[in-house]
Amino acid sequence: MSEKNNNFKQLKQLLKLKRHEIPPPGYFNHFSGDVISRLRAGESGQPEGLIERIQSESSLLAFLLPIFEARPGIIGALATSLCMLLLIGVVWADRPDATFNDIAAVQPSQASSQADPVLASVAPAAVPLEPAESSGIAVSTNPVTSLQPVASFFGSSPNPLFQPAAFMAPGR
Amino acid sequence: MRRARHDDLAAYDELVRRYQERIYATIYHMTANHEDANDLAQESFIKAFSALKSFKGGSSFYTWLYRIAVNKTINFLKQRRNKHHMSLNDLDFNAEHDPDLVALISDKTPQRDINLSELQKKLNEALLKLSEPHRMVVVLHDVQGVSHEEIADIVGCNIGTVRSRLFYARQQLQGYLAEYIKN
Repeated sequence: MSEKNNNFKQLKQLLKLKRHEIPPPGYFNHFSGDVISRLRAGESGQPEGLIERIQSESSLLAFLLPIFEARPGIIGALATSLCMLLLIGVVWADRPDATFNDIAAVQPSQASSQADPVLASVAPAAVPLEPAESSGIAVSTNPVTSLQPVASFFGSSPNPLFQPAAFMAPGR
Repeated sequence: MRRARHDDLAAYDELVRRYQERIYATIYHMTANHEDANDLAQESFIKAFSALKSFKGGSSFYTWLYRIAVNKTINFLKQRRNKHHMSLNDLDFNAEHDPDLVALISDKTPQRDINLSELQKKLNEALLKLSEPHRMVVVLHDVQGVSHEEIADIVGCNIGTVRSRLFYARQQLQGYLAEYIKN
């Protein structure tokens, strides 16, 4: 223990060397003047927010580089996220009305009905019609199916005033 | 200080002159870089001026000012991480005549041919190897001569923590500087 204390004593003696380190001559003559000048210039010394810090950096890259350098995992995660976003964007662009869940999981029945044209033409009739639809106005929450050409089940025009031109001459 | 709180810059200039050497020295010994110490010391005084109205007097102005400088320095060092670039000040004339140092570089040191500038460089390198909280305690106590109680107040921990940090930091330094302080 006494040896340790002795060593600490020597260490303290060595640390005294730090007290002899002095700034350039005349440094403290203008130090307070510099502080006061900066205060007069309007510096407040308030802590900067993240946005101010980014803006004060020479560039965004200069701000991000030390972070990426310290934690390389961050750049990997960021790159993966960007790739995923790009992929989702491409799929979404192909199917503009589909929701994320539609893209993520395509229903097997939907897939089979799209493959079979007969089933595709029958499928909309299975959906209960709203009153507006029954009067001939095409309103649908599913524009993909409503845009499909649907054949009339009655083989005639839906206009009730229209009569087929088929009459017989009197006396026949 | 009352005048300085009412935005009297002439009064604040007096306060800066009173504490500039101690604040600068603390930051310099922590960073081992004159330019960084200059910037941080100025920013500490600027921040203190803007926060002067919120100073409630729970501690002395000197302790409060130290706390601002210490927090600013530690934040700066954390941002800089391990990229230390030393820019050391020159040793004054008295260093060569300091009896403790003369003894260290003559008969007690195995490296008898080492000069004070080399020793200064080795000492600063060893200090930079310490973590910021440990370096801060050594700088404040062993270099600046601040008491344990004041350090606890400045750093915001209890005296036991200050003592244990000091002991651990000295042990670490002793290991780093073994060839210069062992018989």
